[in-house]
Amino acid sequence: MLQQAIALIIILFFILRLLDQKKKKEIKQNELILWLIFWLSAAIAILLIRKIDQLLSLLGFSLSGISFLVYLAVLALFYLVFRLRLGLAKIDRNLTELARQIALNNKDKN
Amino acid sequence: MKITCVIPAWNEAENISRVVAGVRPYVQETVVVNDCSTDATAELASNAGAIVISHPINRGQGAALQTGDDYALSSGADIIVHFDADDQFLAEEIKDMTAPILEGRADIVFGSRFLGKKSNFPFTKKYLIYPLAHIFTRFILGIKLSDPQNGFRALSRKAAELIRIDNREMAHNSEIQAKAYQSGLRIAEVPITVIYHDFGQKLSGGFKIAKDLLIHKIIK
Repeated sequence: MLQQAIALIIILFFILRLLDQKKKKEIKQNELILWLIFWLSAAIAILLIRKIDQLLSLLGFSLSGISFLVYLAVLALFYLVFRLRLGLAKIDRNLTELARQIALNNKDKN
Repeated sequence: MKITCVIPAWNEAENISRVVAGVRPYVQETVVVNDCSTDATAELASNAGAIVISHPINRGQGAALQTGDDYALSSGADIIVHFDADDQFLAEEIKDMTAPILEGRADIVFGSRFLGKKSNFPFTKKYLIYPLAHIFTRFILGIKLSDPQNGFRALSRKAAELIRIDNREMAHNSEIQAKAYQSGLRIAEVPITVIYHDFGQKLSGGFKIAKDLLIHKIIK
């Protein structure tokens, strides 16, 4: 119960921070929605942790609900890092193209 | 037929004058792509008679080659020769490299260190790195050439227009070979000589090449 309360307070902190970032126009509307869905899902999962325990047990898994959520979070992190890596590769490619155009344009001026 | 030699160079002040002077008798135009060198590479290349194009930031050998290709195509090159700036290749072999294109037998020609001519390979390169590179390029990329990592090549205008180098670092060798196959170009291999002054690409570099090729396949 105490752990659930702590987790919910942490989630509330991140949601408030998210709303503040939106207010300061540091993030876009779709980013706000995406992260709100993420944190609200996490809050619901924590509130329903006993139900998740029961569901997992019903499905024949021996792990607890909280372990399941941690595994899910690790999977989500792997996916986000992968997406980040691809995004960086695309930025890198654009940077190369930019450097190339500057080099070729400067050649024309010489 | 206008032959343009593209030489990517990064901090090659020690060799660039000699390399440009060696190459010039065999081509109509020599382009040195200075990849943001911190030494006198650009100035020395220009003094030796090359056209110098300078990247504002260091982008790697593959990126420099594509910049050189873009320039060569815009200046009307019929054949583009890729040549290293570290004085490893023999300029007189440019004739052998361009011959299959000039004779209409090939669209792209790759130099090979494994077709008879003697090169002074470092031991681990010959017996560890190249066999691994062979396995990777043959079975993952489907390339059936004898030399998977050779920077000496000649491209017809058609080949240079079809092949765009996306790998900005050392993975461009395998990328160019793979794209030559995918584009249905007529491919030839010519024996060349390589004189090793230092070790060059290490095993760790080989793993980085494999990783770069796989990432570029994914983000395509």
